[in-house]
Amino acid sequence: MNDPGNLETRLKIAKSKLQNKKIEDAEKKGVFLGNAFKLGTELVAAVVVGVIIGFILDNWFGTKPILIIIFFIFGSAAGIWNVIRAAKRMQKK
Amino acid sequence: MDTNPMHQFNVHRIGPEIKINGIDLSFTNASLFMLLSAIFILLFLLFGTKEKKIIPGKIQLISEMLYNFIGKMINDTAGKKAKPYFPFIFSLFIFVLFCNMIGMLPYSFTVTSHIIVTLAFAIFIFIGVTILGFVIHGFKYLKIFVPSGVPIVLLPIIMIIEIISYLSRPISLSVRLFANMMAGHTMLKVFGGFVISLGLVAGWLPLTFSVALTGLEILVAFLQAYVFAILTCIYLNDALNLHH
Repeated sequence: MNDPGNLETRLKIAKSKLQNKKIEDAEKKGVFLGNAFKLGTELVAAVVVGVIIGFILDNWFGTKPILIIIFFIFGSAAGIWNVIRAAKRMQKK
Repeated sequence: MDTNPMHQFNVHRIGPEIKINGIDLSFTNASLFMLLSAIFILLFLLFGTKEKKIIPGKIQLISEMLYNFIGKMINDTAGKKAKPYFPFIFSLFIFVLFCNMIGMLPYSFTVTSHIIVTLAFAIFIFIGVTILGFVIHGFKYLKIFVPSGVPIVLLPIIMIIEIISYLSRPISLSVRLFANMMAGHTMLKVFGGFVISLGLVAGWLPLTFSVALTGLEILVAFLQAYVFAILTCIYLNDALNLHH
């Protein structure tokens, strides 16, 4: 039971497990930071695209402020939808 | 003036002016640094894979780690079907990474801090993924805009929202990389300027800040390359495995 060789191997295994866990933790931290960077632009980009589409359509049909307002709202909705989807994807992992 | 924090982003011509049909195709410092990072990548990976030892050396270890890292990322996010696209994702990741990292060297030029570069990447990915989706699924790929379980009354509104959300992909992909790189480098330059203008008296404080910021910037440079690659994987996944 008090075999020193046995203890040594067990110590080695435990240490290697600990090290692996440290690397995994660092990897996870990186993933979280990456996610944080991702979410902000995801929200803004959809609003920008919505406004651009509204602007172009307004110029086509000559309905100056109406479509830009409508597509701004659609863009905001799309942005929030993007963020929700990204958050769901994160939770699945 | 060199103290202008935006001066580092100037693109200037190197060598003779080349004009074809009124399009300026001259060799600039941006092209030089893209070429440099491509050469560095080639050398790095060539040295890394030259001797295949069982106990790897440092360069071999790093290149193997990069390979495993990207391979695992693709497998986790896009599944087994995405295996054939490994070379594309890997070259994309490593090119963005090297451009970012070479930009961290003093007197160098950060290619990825220009929106035209990142937008070109993003639009290329966007168009490629869209074509891939249509090739694999045919017109069924349009289902991506029609989520299941939505009442018919709401369907037109949801479709507009989905289309906007789809079109926003290249914008968010490119703006994220460009804005992070440009903001970081401007901030470093501004703090560097503080060191000069405050001199020996109080210049130590911004100097410590810029040392810390350099560390942060290296982290951001890696993370942005990672995020760029992982989002490409996610878009690829949407095109390969159509489900909503």
